[in-house]
Amino acid sequence: MKLYGFLLVAAQLPAVLCLWPLPRSLEVGSSALKLASSFEIHLNVAHAPSDLEDAVSRTKAFLKNDKLGRLVVGRGASDSGALQHAPALRSLQLSLAHNVPVRSITDEARLPIGTRSEEYSLHIPADGSTATITANSTLGLFRGLTTFEQLWYEFSGEIYTVEAPVSIADSPAYPYRGFMLDTSRNFFPVSDIKRTLDAMSWVKMSQFHWHVVDSQSFPLEVPGFTELASKGAYSSSMVYTPSDVQEIVSYAGARGIDVMIEIDTPGHTAIISAAHPEHIACAEASPWTTFANEPPAGQLRLASAATRNFTADLLASVARMFPSTIMSTGGDELNVECYTQDAQTQADLSASGRTLEQALDAFTQATHAALRAEGKTPAVWEEMVLDHNVTLGNDTIVMVWISSANAAAVAAKNFRIVHGPSDYFYLDCGAGEWIGDDVANSWCDPFKTWQKSYTFDPLANISAAQAHLVLGGEQLLWTEQSGPENLDSIVWPRAASSAEVFWSGPGGNLTTALPRLHDIAFRMRQRGVNAIPLQPLWCALRPGKCDIDS
Amino acid sequence: MLPRCVFILCVFLAKHASAVWPIPRSLSVGTSPLKLSSHFAVRLHIHAPPPDLLSAVSRTRARLHSDRFERLVLGRASADASALEGAPVLSSLTVTLRAGSPIRTIAEEATRSVDAKSESYVLAVTGNPPSATLSANSTLGLLRGLTTFEQLWYDSEGTKYLLNAPVMVEDAPAFPYRGFSFDTSRNFYPVADILRTLDAMSWVKLSVLYWHVIDSQSFPLEVEAFPELAAKGAYSAREIYTRDDIQHIVRYANERGIDVVMELDSPGHTTAISAAHPEHIACAAKSPWSKYANEPPAGQLRIASLSTLAFVRMMFSSIAAALPGTMMSSGGDEVNLPCWDEDEQTMSDLAQRNLTIADALNEFVQTVQAVIKEHGKTPFIKSDMVLTHNAPVTNDTVVVVWQTSEDAASVADRGLRLIHQPSNYFYLDCGAGEWLGNDILGNSWCDPFKTWQRAYSFDPYANLTTDQYKLVLGGQMPLWSEQSSPENLDPIIWPRLAAGAEVFWTGATLPDGSSRLGPNVTSSTQALARLNELRYRLVDRGVNAIALQPKWCVLRPGECDLDS
Repeated sequence: MKLYGFLLVAAQLPAVLCLWPLPRSLEVGSSALKLASSFEIHLNVAHAPSDLEDAVSRTKAFLKNDKLGRLVVGRGASDSGALQHAPALRSLQLSLAHNVPVRSITDEARLPIGTRSEEYSLHIPADGSTATITANSTLGLFRGLTTFEQLWYEFSGEIYTVEAPVSIADSPAYPYRGFMLDTSRNFFPVSDIKRTLDAMSWVKMSQFHWHVVDSQSFPLEVPGFTELASKGAYSSSMVYTPSDVQEIVSYAGARGIDVMIEIDTPGHTAIISAAHPEHIACAEASPWTTFANEPPAGQLRLASAATRNFTADLLASVARMFPSTIMSTGGDELNVECYTQDAQTQADLSASGRTLEQALDAFTQATHAALRAEGKTPAVWEEMVLDHNVTLGNDTIVMVWISSANAAAVAAKNFRIVHGPSDYFYLDCGAGEWIGDDVANSWCDPFKTWQKSYTFDPLANISAAQAHLVLGGEQLLWTEQSGPENLDSIVWPRAASSAEVFWSGPGGNLTTALPRLHDIAFRMRQRGVNAIPLQPLWCALRPGKCDIDS
Repeated sequence: MLPRCVFILCVFLAKHASAVWPIPRSLSVGTSPLKLSSHFAVRLHIHAPPPDLLSAVSRTRARLHSDRFERLVLGRASADASALEGAPVLSSLTVTLRAGSPIRTIAEEATRSVDAKSESYVLAVTGNPPSATLSANSTLGLLRGLTTFEQLWYDSEGTKYLLNAPVMVEDAPAFPYRGFSFDTSRNFYPVADILRTLDAMSWVKLSVLYWHVIDSQSFPLEVEAFPELAAKGAYSAREIYTRDDIQHIVRYANERGIDVVMELDSPGHTTAISAAHPEHIACAAKSPWSKYANEPPAGQLRIASLSTLAFVRMMFSSIAAALPGTMMSSGGDEVNLPCWDEDEQTMSDLAQRNLTIADALNEFVQTVQAVIKEHGKTPFIKSDMVLTHNAPVTNDTVVVVWQTSEDAASVADRGLRLIHQPSNYFYLDCGAGEWLGNDILGNSWCDPFKTWQRAYSFDPYANLTTDQYKLVLGGQMPLWSEQSSPENLDPIIWPRLAAGAEVFWTGATLPDGSSRLGPNVTSSTQALARLNELRYRLVDRGVNAIALQPKWCVLRPGECDLDS
């Protein structure tokens, strides 16, 4: 029923309305309304937390500085007549529902997934009388402010909409709406991550999945384990210190984004050998194709009690750096041959009388126990459930990545799911092979267009009884071929595609989505994010003229 | 054990190889360290050196000072600290023109006819005693040599050094035409983006900017005779290249050894003209676009109309007169016949003049080629105009082969000169998915993405007979901008565009005598090591070239090959 309602609303939308993600309930008119030069946002919240006050300040700055011309031929020149006699909006009032606790946006954003309150209502009368946003949490107010910011265009000094009145009742279809960034294959300065968090918040994403370390470099300074970064980072300037982490999680939290850190184990750990060779099997072994999916090879010696303890202590220390209730222990692409040929692992296995699978189980139980002791819910890549016989808590979150077809199998095992399928959501696909001396294409060809991502169905092959297991999903950037040089251009606006799938729900209309996606991409550029053009400007100014069938 | 021994040997050799890109035709290096003096000077032994040569020398000196690129090895510069102790110090580079060489500006040399350019140079850098000399037959050759000289040095806390003296280079391009084709119509690029791109082009010794300045989507070019074309056809008043901009860009390019070939694509790809002159455009923005054009919006010049022909003649003439180069293109790709078949005026023009559409197309091509030649320029045309439409082009026409690399032989069979721009090797925009709306599973028409390895594997003489080789002037990698703009210009072209630069500079043979198309040439101990270095140098100089690999691989040549 919900889906049907959504489609009905979408069908009535005027082509010019450009919100992303699309609110789940939306009514607009066709009157012009200006922002008064004295426009103010009134925070009708007792003891308003400072991050909400900061969010209001940012909204006011965006309203003033976006200066986005409407994406029509003339960029708004045709609106000037309507603007002459348009009423002026003088204030927006923000208020919380009665009897709800007043917490910071940050605290709300870090609540356990599934318990966050992001819903809000937004009303803008056409006559210039006060606009309102109401919500059950500061996080909901923040989402409402984000919507409000997107309604306005600039022409000749006037900030205006041509679609008043506006009436919105909105809430996300799924709580987990994420983006994953790999900062190990190539490094990204803190400023790049913060800019990315900004852009994520503009499309109401809720979760930053930080794949911080991998086999190539260890850029995270972990208290008690500082040698890992000092010997494993690309350079001393390519390290996230604890204060960098604090800055990033605070910045994210204030923008309604929880940070799920991932320490991928036991594979993807070769670089730990720079400081602790005793913990890594097959470190940089050749040929790498025998021992790993990409160079360099190297995995934690999961059968070693010392390594198991080291890993559990490392994960516990990382857990204490991050306020989120979720933390990932990774678990993808475990290579058996690495352990088969590692004399110490073989000795450890025979001494303990365990098979490799049993050792993996013991290893995972130890690391997950360490996380739980720090109050975290573990997340793992799908192989831990589908390929290995590992004891996992019922509440473990499973990230599906290899194929969208695997989600059903995870659901069948009754685990909660985050969708990150390579066949829909991998932002790095399609740029060719990066291995030297190889003229092949990328393993996950072709390039995933925004259109492909947009057609993802979170409930495909999942029964109604299992639907509650789906927490949402994320688009991912693996950075073998990316760096600060192309971060914005490879991520935006494509990553906004899944933000709408998981906020508005699936089944959106590609034809009406494209002008809205243009709009958010142009707005991102006005705000300093280098989102690429999806089409020639000629097309962006003429919705529908560049469809395949127009 | 054997493979590992071979591997270690490779690394050892790589350590002392030179990472110049494109790699010189002849290059020998030694194993001695050499430092640049903090008072390093470039001594021009040329009477009355032209100002643009002086500027080039200043840029070289500035970059030798400001480049902070450290050698790509584990430990970076610190790995070389001990090797530099007591290294000899080079205090100057002596630059001479060979006796009897005319002294022209770089700009004059760069705009000479494509078969008359002199780009060769000889560079010798020795450590014992410290000495460096550069000589050439032209100022353009000297510019190329300075560009090579800049790439020899690494930084260690402000000190510039190399480890492979003596370096002896004798260099000249295999092909004179080494280009980049740039579409500024689908989306607009400010002048600053073009200038930055020209700088980076000059660093890899590219010689031509082929400027696809206008198309159906927008007309950002100010034409003296018809200012209304840009006033009404540009995306906005700010998105116009004024006549001053054009002069500035062309001069900037020429001073960096780059000629500019302006393409006025016609008679197709001209819808934007209809904003000012609807009378000259058939099927303007007609629906369904897929019937009348290869992409929206549809619209083509009314080739059968005498007034349109007069307009086109004037437009070409107005632009040609303002440009110094000896080459100009009339484009000519993707002509659509139903557009004219359903255009009443074209049909009545044809009937009145008793012409077929093929006659009219021939007349059109002859008309625009005649204007180009009147201005002393060599006409360029797109390959489908010759191969599909059999247009009667002049004998000196240069054909831009674009649809597929296999078309080159067909063009050569007609005895016409050509440049390679095949979509199956060189298109920088391929592989980023369909940009048309409502096409869920659409990939780009020219999938897959063209990797640098793919571009590098191009053989300019494939399927040609040896007596046709002389018809190949070179080639160019294009960027079509449906999905590009200033936001991703650098990352989508760099460092891949450098692959084409080496294909056409270095030619078939690497300086060690091996084939550029031989086995393992793109491995990370060979071309990839040099290209990784170029990428880091580009980033160092402010060009957002993308990473080709994780930095882990970059610092360990040979460890991230398929077989390592």
